[in-house]
Amino acid sequence: MNDAITVSGLDVRFGASHVVKDVRFTVGEGESYGIVGESGSGKSTILRALSGLNREWSGSITIAGEPQKAKRPPAFYRQVQMVFQDPYGSLHPRMTVDATLAEPVAIHGLGDADNRINRALADVGLDGGFRFRYPHQLSGGQRQRVAIARALILEPSILLLDEPTSALDVSIQAEVLNLLSDLKGARGLTLVLVSHNLAVVGHLCGRVAVMKEGQIVEEATLDAIRSGDIHEAYTRDLVAASRRAHGAITAC
Amino acid sequence: MRVETPLLAVENLRVRFHTPTRIVEAVRGLSFTLGREKLAIVGESGSGKSMTGRAILDLVPWPGEVSADRMEFRGQEMMGLDRHGRRAIRGKRISMVMQDPKFSLNPVMTVGQQIGEAYRVHTKASRSEARERALAMLEAVQIREPARVHDLYPHEVSGGMGQRVMIAMMLIGEPDILIADEPTSALDVTVQAQVLDILERLVTDRGMGLIFISHDLPLVASFCDRVVVMYAGRVMETLDARALSKGKHPYTRGLLGCLPDLDHPKDRLATLKRDPAWANGAGT
Repeated sequence: MNDAITVSGLDVRFGASHVVKDVRFTVGEGESYGIVGESGSGKSTILRALSGLNREWSGSITIAGEPQKAKRPPAFYRQVQMVFQDPYGSLHPRMTVDATLAEPVAIHGLGDADNRINRALADVGLDGGFRFRYPHQLSGGQRQRVAIARALILEPSILLLDEPTSALDVSIQAEVLNLLSDLKGARGLTLVLVSHNLAVVGHLCGRVAVMKEGQIVEEATLDAIRSGDIHEAYTRDLVAASRRAHGAITAC
Repeated sequence: MRVETPLLAVENLRVRFHTPTRIVEAVRGLSFTLGREKLAIVGESGSGKSMTGRAILDLVPWPGEVSADRMEFRGQEMMGLDRHGRRAIRGKRISMVMQDPKFSLNPVMTVGQQIGEAYRVHTKASRSEARERALAMLEAVQIREPARVHDLYPHEVSGGMGQRVMIAMMLIGEPDILIADEPTSALDVTVQAQVLDILERLVTDRGMGLIFISHDLPLVASFCDRVVVMYAGRVMETLDARALSKGKHPYTRGLLGCLPDLDHPKDRLATLKRDPAWANGAGT
């Protein structure tokens, strides 16, 4: 298996605060990798550095065998796309779904926008009736589907997901998670999923990095986490909190 | 001993919105009573949970219309009161913590001023007295440096702090009932625990009644006493929180089924099958 993403010695500083400290990990091609931790632990910052949104970093990032500089060429974005946490904020309120999806196609000069848009909408389970709607005419789950379609329309091989379900209801969360695992299977996508919810990460990913205060304190497979083969007290706390939350529902 | 009158009794509450094309019914015939307890209202977005909270406080925006056979606060009927009567209750006897501190706080007033304002609306307190109270409230919601935070603007505080500021503002009038609309969904697990702690203490120490609006079933099961499950503006079922997992209504079962479980991974999560008959009262 080739490595899709290799990160080593990644440091990110915002002024005086050191947000990401010497982070290293690798993600294989077609693998799903999870990053969990509290907010402020630096997990989203790592994704923003990977996707080229944050240019202030040091260390090395290699994506699909190519060492990356701070500024990425347009071709990079055909390979790597990102889905953001809040579908209410990440879609332009005055652009229809059609315009939102047509923009990346035009930027990259792919042509054949009409068919691509229809296909992208079908892939995320939205029928053609949604194509000329505005975001305010969609429910939260539908908006997140549009956001995923926007990322997938360029047919990337790597998808970065920043808390893709935490702004959604549990019932919608289940739909979006199912959609992601279907897409992963159908396209062999490499996923990097950031979440504070260990159960969500566990549903999609095989390996998880646990972050605390800008550092990866532990990296473990989901099987190890389930069987309790973990070494850091903080990971144990997270697992216990996740079990407690679920146990409250299923214990009786 | 006489039976204590419930803090709040609501019967057949309806909220309708008259739009040019049709009448949208956000809440349809909701009934419940609230004692000195933690009552949860759960359901998906759009199920009418927040509208219920707003209807109790007479905060339903135009063109909404509220009707109820009975809406009593400590035995006093509220439906017949005029705007001034409702305003006297709102904020002082019943208050509500809104969902998102980013949008619910005034961006051009310091948080201390806003908390003080909430106090001065209902009492004839002086500015300095309001400041004293505001500082005390900030301390009560466990903000470490109340004097510093008092003079900050909302954009200068973190999400968790903003939420606690909102709670402080709502509690300064010492209400009998607090309606909390998704008070912790924007917060981290650790901060969430602190906020829940504060609410818990208010219920046990002050005998306050809490209506906790949420879509987080595990949280509600562990924190609240009773749970009302809502769908399409109706109550599907009312359960003891500890028996939430034994809920019989297919909607409750559906909500529980779509949670991912760390220890029992499934290939596909169950998705919710919504039966249109539920919206018309079947199963209630």
